[in-house]
Amino acid sequence: MKKITIDPITRLEGHGKINIFLNDSGAVENVYFAIPELRGFEKFCEGRPADQVPQIVSRICGV
Amino acid sequence: MSKLKLASYWGAACGGCDVAILDIHEKIVDLSNAADIVFWPIAVDFKYSDLEAYEDGYIDVCLFHGAVRNSENEHIAKLLRQKSKVMVAFGSCAISGGIPGLANFKKKDDIFARAYFDSPSTQNKEKVLPVPVLQMPEGEIDIPEFYKDVKCLADVVDVEYYMPGCPPTSEQIWNVVLAIVTGQLPPAGSFVGCEDRALCNTCKRTKTDKKIKKFVRPHEIIVDPDLCLLEQGLVCMGPVTRAGCGNQCTGANTPCSGCYGPLSGVVDMGAKYISALASVVDADSPEEADKIISEVLDPAGTFYRYGLPGSLLRRAK
Repeated sequence: MKKITIDPITRLEGHGKINIFLNDSGAVENVYFAIPELRGFEKFCEGRPADQVPQIVSRICGV
Repeated sequence: MSKLKLASYWGAACGGCDVAILDIHEKIVDLSNAADIVFWPIAVDFKYSDLEAYEDGYIDVCLFHGAVRNSENEHIAKLLRQKSKVMVAFGSCAISGGIPGLANFKKKDDIFARAYFDSPSTQNKEKVLPVPVLQMPEGEIDIPEFYKDVKCLADVVDVEYYMPGCPPTSEQIWNVVLAIVTGQLPPAGSFVGCEDRALCNTCKRTKTDKKIKKFVRPHEIIVDPDLCLLEQGLVCMGPVTRAGCGNQCTGANTPCSGCYGPLSGVVDMGAKYISALASVVDADSPEEADKIISEVLDPAGTFYRYGLPGSLLRRAK
């Protein structure tokens, strides 16, 4: 099965890639969208003072 | 003379540095007259395969923002290093880990558990975790390896210049772009787009003798718009933070959180700030000093807000 990889996907905020699998007749068999990024805001905001959290989470996405 | 070739890339980042570059607005047209952009995922459609096909040293200047959080960040950093004559660590994340570097207060397993098992919006009864390589019916797919620790750009490649800020201001970016285009960059190893003096030096607030009896949180006081924020008991990182941001936060009655990082020669920003605090606390006894200092909430997370991976601590145990 042929695989076409679009890496990275561009002109958006964040990281992503797309794997497209083609079957023997050249038609799309399946497509996988991968997000190769985790920073862990869910965890590292724990323990930070509440009044500081808006400044921190504004860096989830700066776009 | 052939046009300069520029690249911009993000590792573990938010895109704020990219937007700060785009915030030079119509000057982007002037930039495009002087330089070709040959790689910049947020703005133009070049793929990693294009980057791989360039000759070594093809790119004149690469602005790399974002921390090194996973194997893809490191791989692309090394690839860009190979393809670039000059590498700029652009923004707090690339220089010292930045906000993503706060993850070094936590452990990888705990970050995964929170993100993929325990967060209120997650449904994952099968307890599936990301794995670098996954075999699907149609073939193999892969994602990068999530590292145990967040690293700085200079931990994985050689870096010529450091441009601080979260993000660097657009004015400073334009000044640095002009320096690049006109070939007037300072010696390698320099910090660019900033000043080598503390933020307090550019802060217009009135400063008197600092004698702090009590630290306060922002919601506990009505901030005097003219008086030094630290003297009002707010934890302001100005005394140990590099100037160059235009005092945007302190100008808006908000204490400096230290995003431009420490001054030249300072090995550890948190230690430097602890030293600064020790000199302004007005205590008559060690017990009173302890009491006053204990009012500073989350000192490690505050003093190393943008730079835990680049500090002497590097991570919490």
